[in-house]
Amino acid sequence: MADDASLLRRDPIKSSVGNVAAQRRRRQAVAVGKERRESLVRAKRFCRIGVSGSANGEGDGEGDGDGDVSPDIDMVVDEEQSVLEAQTSSAVEELKAAIAYQGKGAMQKRVSALRELRRLLSKSEFPPVEAALNAGAIPILVQCLSFGSPDEQLLEAAWCLTNIAAGKPEQTKALLPALPMLIAHIGEKSSLPVAEQCAWALGNVAGEGEELRNILLSQGALLPLARMMLPNKGSTVRTAAWALSNLIKGPDSRGATDLIKIDGVLDAIVRHLKKADEELATEIAWVVVYLSALSNFATNLLVKNDVVQLLVERLATSSSLQLLIPVLRGLGNLVAGDTNTTHTLLLPGSEVTDGVVKVVVKCLKSEHRVLKKEAAWVLSNIAAGSVEHKRLIYSSEALPWLIRLVSSAPFDVRKEVAYVLGNLCVGPTEGDARPYLIQEHLVSLVGGGCLSGFIDLVRSADTEAARVGLQFIELVLRGMPNGEGLKLVEREDGIEAMERFQFHENEDLRNMANGLVDKYFGEDYGDDELAG
Amino acid sequence: MATMEAEGGGGGGGFPYWTSVRRRFDPDSAFFSSGNVERELLAKQVALDITEDERYQLQNLMDEESRGVFCPIVGCGAHLTSLENFEDHYNARHTASCSVCSRVYPTSRLLSIHVSEAHDSFFQAKVARGFAMNECLVESCGSKFKTYKARQRHLIDKHKFPTSFEFYKKALPSRKQRQKNQRKQVTHKKEVAPSAMEVENEAVDELVSAVSKLSTSDSPTSISFGRRHTRGLPFVPRAIQRERT
Repeated sequence: MADDASLLRRDPIKSSVGNVAAQRRRRQAVAVGKERRESLVRAKRFCRIGVSGSANGEGDGEGDGDGDVSPDIDMVVDEEQSVLEAQTSSAVEELKAAIAYQGKGAMQKRVSALRELRRLLSKSEFPPVEAALNAGAIPILVQCLSFGSPDEQLLEAAWCLTNIAAGKPEQTKALLPALPMLIAHIGEKSSLPVAEQCAWALGNVAGEGEELRNILLSQGALLPLARMMLPNKGSTVRTAAWALSNLIKGPDSRGATDLIKIDGVLDAIVRHLKKADEELATEIAWVVVYLSALSNFATNLLVKNDVVQLLVERLATSSSLQLLIPVLRGLGNLVAGDTNTTHTLLLPGSEVTDGVVKVVVKCLKSEHRVLKKEAAWVLSNIAAGSVEHKRLIYSSEALPWLIRLVSSAPFDVRKEVAYVLGNLCVGPTEGDARPYLIQEHLVSLVGGGCLSGFIDLVRSADTEAARVGLQFIELVLRGMPNGEGLKLVEREDGIEAMERFQFHENEDLRNMANGLVDKYFGEDYGDDELAG
Repeated sequence: MATMEAEGGGGGGGFPYWTSVRRRFDPDSAFFSSGNVERELLAKQVALDITEDERYQLQNLMDEESRGVFCPIVGCGAHLTSLENFEDHYNARHTASCSVCSRVYPTSRLLSIHVSEAHDSFFQAKVARGFAMNECLVESCGSKFKTYKARQRHLIDKHKFPTSFEFYKKALPSRKQRQKNQRKQVTHKKEVAPSAMEVENEAVDELVSAVSKLSTSDSPTSISFGRRHTRGLPFVPRAIQRERT
């Protein structure tokens, strides 16, 4: 922050203005670039337009473009930024004065001052949060949250806090003193807009990190937030769901296990997955993602209540990437987390299973890299089931896609696809014994041309990928009939690829590669060629 | 993190065969990070006017930041910005190949040592007259030895090479066949003296059988490294310390 300010301050004394100014602009551009990048990937959200039903008119808090706030979101130039900061400092002072004032029209004064501060904190891509904090905004905002205050006042104060918490880690942490009051105002007695705005602020705080999440959980934020998720519709439900997804994401599992046990939550999740609009369903899906990733107890309950089927239906009918990502991942977590799911629910031949495979394949075919990668992951876990599961995938429409993708997709997708294909070629793991080979599948896959993709993985610098590639090559060398495997591997420059490992620093990979070369391409290999 | 395939195939030294197991990832696993980034970008997209271009760049940036690969070839340690660059880097730097017998070495120094020892009759002559011609493979060591065996001993004792390491590994017979078909692609990294070229393939083979100790059997050839923190030692596995799986 101090750095930013110094970058932005003009230095009138230095000569050769042109050069210095150009350098400063460059540094500023880099700083802004980095800051923008960081802010873009945060799990926090600025509130620019206000919650629906608020004094500012229509529009749910994000991305709507309606309302009287014009998104002033270009890169802020020197003067604008420092002016903004100065205005913010005065706005805080104004607010302090308004609080102190006891006379006629005190409430109106307070709300006006709050509104001014809120406006300053809601425009531009990088609101003057630091200036507000330095001027002492937090204690004064906490005061504005006191019990009995009028709704308008609560709303504006919570809005300010929301945006203060939406930026850098230190800024979010500054909200600590405000947490108890924010939590208090998401109770049932509060008006909906107030509750929603407070939930938003809490969601930003939860999005910061594990430490703050634990504090919020200890202070009892979970229950009231969960209750906000129960009604059928409204932007409040959506905001609460989003805040909850931030709150339970762990890595500690207690948020997730506590949430699923709250009365009405499971029912609400099922209901929303079934009927809600895509925006709400998206946030609910993220709640499911974290529930299924962190809590076996939750996973069991979700599966028992047909959530798998609901997720499948969403995948089948939606084309919104925002929705598809968490739904697919939730499904993936349910499949990955529990042997029961694959064995009892996803019985091969059942309608549910067919449905699952179908929608996952739909994601595999998508043009979005994340969907392709995570779809392949889900398939790899289904393919890690029984022989019937393997047959199911082998004979599905996934197969030609998989064969194509293992050679042509981006690296992270190729690696996941490799797992699917390999899993199709070996039987289920039984104890310590080496799994048996499913030759029919192996021959068909290799015949389809997937070997070169695996050999490419062997050549990559990624240890896991190289290992996967070598393991598949071993299957080919061992399992192809009539020693065909050897010729095929050679033809695809597989020997070359393996010989690279002689001077590779990873001992396991070296041993694997050398072992294969020694065993299959040893002294006698190629003798018949030379003789002929 | 993910539960990887269990080690199959028995105890240490056996090949870890492919086992089909479910893989589960924690929510904060690197596996999910590109999806998480996508979530946040999509949520802010309309408000902040993020272009397709910027999204693509951002995704790549996130990937690189968590990947930043180091070249895993012994003694290299080069930092590569992406996995895609690795192949180019490998072809540019680690394919020093011998124009006589087509063996490939990861550094030109090792190639040079190989050529001297395997194809140079002047070299052989000096050895026969008792000069210490076999250099230590570790670049900064500088020791020289009169026999291949002595150098081998030194590598094992002083630099902790595994006992099964063979610098002069017998080339696969099929390799000659393969190289005949690819002769044009062989890069000439080392000027081979005319007399060396006259060393027939048969002579080389005799040399091989005289010199090589282990047959290509169960024990894999491998290199490992003694000192870890000294600069300049070609076999220091700096990349091991940095590499994240």
